[in-house]
Amino acid sequence: MAPVALARYYDGVTADAIGVSAKWGIGELLVYRPADFSIVARWRLEDLVVVGDSEHEAIPAVSVRGSEARLIVEAPELRAELARIAYLAALAAPPPKPAWRIVRLGAALLGVVVLLWGAVEIGSEHAASLVPYRLQARLGGQVQAELVAGHKLCTGAEGLAAIDGLANRLARAGGLDHPVSVTIVQGGPVNAFTLPGERLVFYSDLIDRASDGEEVAGVLAHEIGHAVKGHALKGMVRQYGVELLLRLATGGYSELGTLGSGGGMLLALRNGRAFEREADAAGLALLERQGLRADGMSRFFEQMLKEEPTGSLRLPDIWSDHPPSAERIAATRRAASGRPAFTDREWKALRSVCNESSGSN
Amino acid sequence: MNTSAVQPVGSQADLTPSRPVYDGKLSELYGIYLRHLLLMFLTLGWSRFWGRTRLRRYLWNHFAVLGDRFEYRGRGLELCVGFLLVLLILGGWGGLMWLTWDFWLAAHMPQEVGIVSLFALSIAFVGFPLAFVGQYTGLRYKLSRTRWRGVRGAMAGSAWSYGALAAVLTFANAATGQLMTPLVSVTLARPRIGNASIGTQRLVFAGRAGDIYGRYIAYYFLNIVLWVGLVGAAGAAMGVAIGDYDVGKLRDAGRLPTLLLIAAALLVAYTLFGIVILPLRCWWQAYLFRYLVARTRAGDVLFATALTTWHMWGFMVVNYLIVLLSFGLGWPWVMHRTLRLISDQLWIYGAPRPGTIGQPADRGPRYGEGLLDMFDVSGV
Repeated sequence: MAPVALARYYDGVTADAIGVSAKWGIGELLVYRPADFSIVARWRLEDLVVVGDSEHEAIPAVSVRGSEARLIVEAPELRAELARIAYLAALAAPPPKPAWRIVRLGAALLGVVVLLWGAVEIGSEHAASLVPYRLQARLGGQVQAELVAGHKLCTGAEGLAAIDGLANRLARAGGLDHPVSVTIVQGGPVNAFTLPGERLVFYSDLIDRASDGEEVAGVLAHEIGHAVKGHALKGMVRQYGVELLLRLATGGYSELGTLGSGGGMLLALRNGRAFEREADAAGLALLERQGLRADGMSRFFEQMLKEEPTGSLRLPDIWSDHPPSAERIAATRRAASGRPAFTDREWKALRSVCNESSGSN
Repeated sequence: MNTSAVQPVGSQADLTPSRPVYDGKLSELYGIYLRHLLLMFLTLGWSRFWGRTRLRRYLWNHFAVLGDRFEYRGRGLELCVGFLLVLLILGGWGGLMWLTWDFWLAAHMPQEVGIVSLFALSIAFVGFPLAFVGQYTGLRYKLSRTRWRGVRGAMAGSAWSYGALAAVLTFANAATGQLMTPLVSVTLARPRIGNASIGTQRLVFAGRAGDIYGRYIAYYFLNIVLWVGLVGAAGAAMGVAIGDYDVGKLRDAGRLPTLLLIAAALLVAYTLFGIVILPLRCWWQAYLFRYLVARTRAGDVLFATALTTWHMWGFMVVNYLIVLLSFGLGWPWVMHRTLRLISDQLWIYGAPRPGTIGQPADRGPRYGEGLLDMFDVSGV
């Protein structure tokens, strides 16, 4: 019977593959052609290395330090024999059992995802407060500049002073250390929002749509509630955290970035609903603590509910960043008692705040 | 057909056919992938260079041509350093822009243009050609870390020239309504294939855009006709289905029926696209793939594939569903399917003559894939 080649040898100089066998003795490994026993390579044992491992390579190659030559030992019996050489012990390592490995790693992965999710949820509460105010103000300023770019700003001095004054009184009562600034953008939508760095942006359509000053004060108190609770920054930190988690979950393949954005959006909406409820409660408490009328908030929501499209064209609740208005109305309804938030003169000035306006620049 | 590309060089050439062999197991691949994911979470993504390297080591070594397995000897650290270098360059660019902005630009620009948007715009502008440069340098890196029968792969040519050419051609193709696609495909395949080598054996690409224009033009206009027909048929079907029904009533139909209606419409649209448009696209792409493979040669070794429209269609539809439905966890399966498809469909005629392929002098770049990581989709 003709001798069989149990391995393949590449000399590292050409792309020739030679069928070989190998034997080891005192101090060296001999690689030879089985047909005529001619020696192909003699390697000192202490120079031998296993290139790679059995986890990743089907057959880890044997080589010597500083050489590009390779010995690929295909026959298991020769591999077992060579693994007796201390330097080649890795040849005997069996590949990991895939089923057990998948279960173990899958469970660990699930645990880490749950832990990180929890860390994002809880950590954002604290992480947001660690961001220095200067940085928050700068961030808020940048976002505001982009949001109001190209829009006209309302500049009625008396109206601005009225809303700014109330905002700062409420903010101080809420324990904010820094002054609040209110910007009024001419036009719609009927909305207002809070940015990091205690920056409030109101749209004039909201003021026009309000029946009286109490309704505007209700919305303003709600926005101050957001500022007091630090929602703007918390939301950003959470959204970033979850997007990061989703990106990691896809193994870093950016093709799936859309899934990441989708998940981030869902989280932002969920945060949105929780934050809105919290801001409602905080805003009402601030108005009541100042002895001001707190019935405007629910009245404003009531008016908005009337104008909301009904039936199927209304987006399902999960897609809405505000809780259902009916629910909010019930939770925020208060008696019409207390002092008015604005004097008649202030309210009149606020109504006409956009009679003087300028470009955002 | 250009016969010079498929005729053997020299009368002694042995054209015995063979196919590559892929013997990877999906379960083993998942073992490596799940560890990669776990480490990604624990290191907030910084382990991706090492994870990618491990996956390549597995895939390369379970793929064999003419009985010899490939070997991947890249290192995660090389990828990490490559990424950090590009990050550093971008940081330098950002700093330079900030200085320019602070000392000069801010006073001359409208207020709504901020430094951040200007920086993003500049990155998007340079990122387009840089993505192509990254693809080329990424290929150079991967080839230089790949060994077959002990010799390294290599990639000659300038990545910057390729990036400029690819950016110009892609832009021109977009401007001409994609009518230049065959020219772009062949022109970009030429440096990508023709500059690649296994050891000292250069690949040769002998394709010409003129050979494939006929099929492309047929595909191009059939595609338009099909889209028009499909949209018309869908409109007519909707008209019949709705009939005299007052669409306004949908407002009061409640949320669930409307959502179900939208979901059903999307499902129908995707199915129609998958059944009608995608096969046509695969008809062209399988043809292009067959052409590119058949026009490639490595010395006496010739290549061919009988990849059909339906192979490609099944491959793409199932891959898409795997990725979509598994939220990314299906990636190893897609890689596994890709290598199985190659091993099933690629035919290799002949073998290199002994002693004709040597070790290349070029050891390749010291670091790799930073640009690819930054500006391009970089899978395994």
